[in-house]
Amino acid sequence: MGASLVDLAAGHAFPPITVALPAAAVRAYCEAVGDEQAIYAEAGLVPPLAAAALCLGALLREASLPPGSLHANESLAFLRPVPVGAEVVCQTTLAKRSQRAGWVFSVLDSRLFVDGEAAVTAVATVLSPIEP
Amino acid sequence: MIDRYASASGDFNPIHIDAAFAATTPMGGTIAHGMLVLALIAEMMTAAFGRDWLTGGKLEVRFRAPARPGDTLTARARAIDDDDDGDEGGSFRYAVECLNEREEQLITGTAAVAARGR
Repeated sequence: MGASLVDLAAGHAFPPITVALPAAAVRAYCEAVGDEQAIYAEAGLVPPLAAAALCLGALLREASLPPGSLHANESLAFLRPVPVGAEVVCQTTLAKRSQRAGWVFSVLDSRLFVDGEAAVTAVATVLSPIEP
Repeated sequence: MIDRYASASGDFNPIHIDAAFAATTPMGGTIAHGMLVLALIAEMMTAAFGRDWLTGGKLEVRFRAPARPGDTLTARARAIDDDDDGDEGGSFRYAVECLNEREEQLITGTAAVAARGR
């Protein structure tokens, strides 16, 4: 596990993370969020939020998210279809870092690539409590 | 549902799954993942726009309050404007929100879908 998110400097580029999206993982996600619309299976596509969520989960494990951290904002753009079975390469930069009122604000700017093409962009603001 | 989402997403932040830990935080107890709650809005947009959403949607949201275990959530959307330019296409924009059963806003923001020549 890497350094804590709150110890990283703005501009830090995380090593790329590859997240596989096999049918079983996609099905588990759809069941977990209660969205099992037929379009996903009919089109063979991953719910784009699923791709972002699984990559965010992988990233936050890599970045050692401090316990008690909260997700404050999220901006997403779905650019290209993400097929079931794809391997997504997630490239993330810690775009901004600030502190206010006992919290560290971290803005994580991610690009998710499928076969070398950007499929999803995601900018997440995470608040982490400052240790006393 | 929260524990199931933690397993599916790989997000095991104890604020979501460890009641004893969560009780020591300002949240006072476990809360749902923001992305789990956001999935309800995404589901709504997929149901409305299908593949156009999956390949051209945009979301910009703020997580205003946590969803708690046992909450019943509702996602809503309200058209903001329609700047469809005909052949050029445009985008459909919506103010979106997710509320609990007490009508408290948990998520607010906007969603947009490319018109794709509608």
